[in-house]
Amino acid sequence: MALSLFHSRKTVFALFALLLGCVLHASAQGNYEIQVYGSDTVLPKTTMVELHSNYTARGSLFTTDGTYPTNHQEHETLEITQGLTSWSEVGFYVFSSIQDGHGIQWVGDHIRPRVRVPDSWHWPVGVSLSTEVGYQRPVYSPDTWTWELRPIVDKSIGRWYLAFNPALERTWHGPDIRQGLGFSPGFKVGYDFTREISGGLEYYADYGRIGSFDSFRNQQQQVFAVTDLNVSPKWEINLGVGVGSTSATDHLIVKGILGRRFDWRRPSPVE
Amino acid sequence: MTRRKALKLSGMAAMAAGLDRLSAIAETPADYTLDIAPYSLEISPGRFIKTIAYNQQIPGPLLRLKEGVPVTIGVSNNSGNDEVVHWHGLFLPPEVDGAMEEGTPHIPAGRSARYTFTPTPSGFRWYHTHTFAGRDVKKGLYSGQYGFLWIEPRENPARYDQEFFLALHDWNAMILGSDDGSMSPVYDYSTINGKTLGFGEPLRVKEGQRILVHVVNTSATEPHWLALAGHKLRVVALDGHAVPSPQTVEMIHLSPAERVSVEVDMNHPGVWVLGEVRKHVMSAGMGIVVEYAGRSGKPTWNQPQMLEWDYRRFGAEDVAPPAESSGDLKETAIPLTFESKFTGHGSMDRWMINGRSFPDTETVRLTFGQRYRLVFRNKSMDDHPVHLHRHSFELRRLAGKETRGILKDTVLVKAGTEAEVVFTANQPGLTLFHCHQQDHMDMGFMMLFRCI
Repeated sequence: MALSLFHSRKTVFALFALLLGCVLHASAQGNYEIQVYGSDTVLPKTTMVELHSNYTARGSLFTTDGTYPTNHQEHETLEITQGLTSWSEVGFYVFSSIQDGHGIQWVGDHIRPRVRVPDSWHWPVGVSLSTEVGYQRPVYSPDTWTWELRPIVDKSIGRWYLAFNPALERTWHGPDIRQGLGFSPGFKVGYDFTREISGGLEYYADYGRIGSFDSFRNQQQQVFAVTDLNVSPKWEINLGVGVGSTSATDHLIVKGILGRRFDWRRPSPVE
Repeated sequence: MTRRKALKLSGMAAMAAGLDRLSAIAETPADYTLDIAPYSLEISPGRFIKTIAYNQQIPGPLLRLKEGVPVTIGVSNNSGNDEVVHWHGLFLPPEVDGAMEEGTPHIPAGRSARYTFTPTPSGFRWYHTHTFAGRDVKKGLYSGQYGFLWIEPRENPARYDQEFFLALHDWNAMILGSDDGSMSPVYDYSTINGKTLGFGEPLRVKEGQRILVHVVNTSATEPHWLALAGHKLRVVALDGHAVPSPQTVEMIHLSPAERVSVEVDMNHPGVWVLGEVRKHVMSAGMGIVVEYAGRSGKPTWNQPQMLEWDYRRFGAEDVAPPAESSGDLKETAIPLTFESKFTGHGSMDRWMINGRSFPDTETVRLTFGQRYRLVFRNKSMDDHPVHLHRHSFELRRLAGKETRGILKDTVLVKAGTEAEVVFTANQPGLTLFHCHQQDHMDMGFMMLFRCI
């Protein structure tokens, strides 16, 4: 099994070096929410509030297709996810951008319902399916209305955590409307150093249209070295530094996710 | 070395040592027989659990044995796995106690064995498998291998109109991540005597009766709270031992392997639910209907709002420390510290006693006849129902509070607390001590005492 390759810390670092070696070109990607999803959903009567802070340290320097350059853009995304049932949730996003010369700008909003395979099905891996629909202003993305379908598969094996998000994207309004389905996979491998501290790699890509992938230089490819801090069931903390390799990808991004879980259930010992 | 490997090695050695003894008793006619075999349990209409059971029934047959009268129980193993039967709460030699770690030979798949012993002490005990399960949540205590043991005392002053035996169990376990960051079993269904609420036969009673209900928690890992709507429960025995101060309570609490015996005065005619106090567990099925003669209709449940239980309520009223001249002061203290070791969010924690996991734990030597005080220090985030084989112990201190007179063989040591119990080392040979949660004992929460 391919996953058994990840059986030592050395392997991870070797993989990291290999991916970095493959990823030494650059340019732009809509870096508002940089996250490989796990399969779990938020519990009912519980709200997860997350702030995604992404800073493009080295990005595009010039206006392209009417969009602002990404260099030194600070993206702040508020994500609010409400648990509906033990197997479903819905998330809302508010995207914003902060940049010299442009100030604080609203970028767009998305909504993301998600369902997962219930625990009672006893599947050997966690599986969920999210779909995300939303609008973003044309000065930040030429494609203003987009739709995403994101299958999510994950598995914890001992100290290792693996997650795969083979996302499919479709433009509903914008220049890529005739492009059909695009393929944007995300992958994460993590290792638990302690109960509280995990580290690993996250890989994000946009290969272009299914059946006719973009040339490599036009694909978006990013690899992040990340750490997850499991300080409390109430808090989610994820920090990372990522590099982009192709000319279509931002070169260097620093990201952080700070999440707080709010439990609205009235605490009762008999519940 | 893991518990599984240790069991294999000790089992092979025990088999070799036990063959002579087994052949010597092979011709002894069995007073009772148990057949371990696959079984499909219908827990609710049309919903079946494929498991392993004794004599094609769950719980296994109630074995009524007489205190002090030797008995032979024949066991055939048609389960496809090595098995062993542990006689929980009895003072038995290690060769027949039913723990391979102590030296009881395992019963290979397709083979039979006979357990010959003299049951003591009297009271409510139980029997169950004592094998390794690991991540196979169809084996060990996750299965249906459990049954009631009633050891009739030589003299029995108590008289009741009816006696009921109830076993609480959880089914269809899966190992999932939990809030504390490690993997733990969770369950789909919970039953009383193998049936979900409303499916099994009700407990049929008559107005004016005084009934005695013996409850055992046979769950592999889960504690349970039980209440009878419309009635109060008078706790008369814990783990089969009469308590010094019987008390009337709203509900009882049982950690895995614990038993509680309660008297109930049936003075409130109707149709009632005897069930798990926590809503999600009752909705998973844990309940049974109690039906008065001549009454019918939908069973009534009165939902308690709090969980209340304290062992010390049933202790002797005088908990003053013994006088200087008392032999009680000659107890030798044995500190046992419980800790976990994180092995990944995708694993179950490794468990340690005094810094070591079984089979690398220290085997503590005991002197026959000597009194010992076990000082449990639970430094982990989990509760632990710890069980001492082949002995009973007296509770002395729980979370810093003194108590006296409560005899048990399993006691819950809550997370982050200390507990102290005393016992007399009067059973020569190896004695197993372990957490009765299957996942904990599988992951190293075991140790041995050797009494010489």
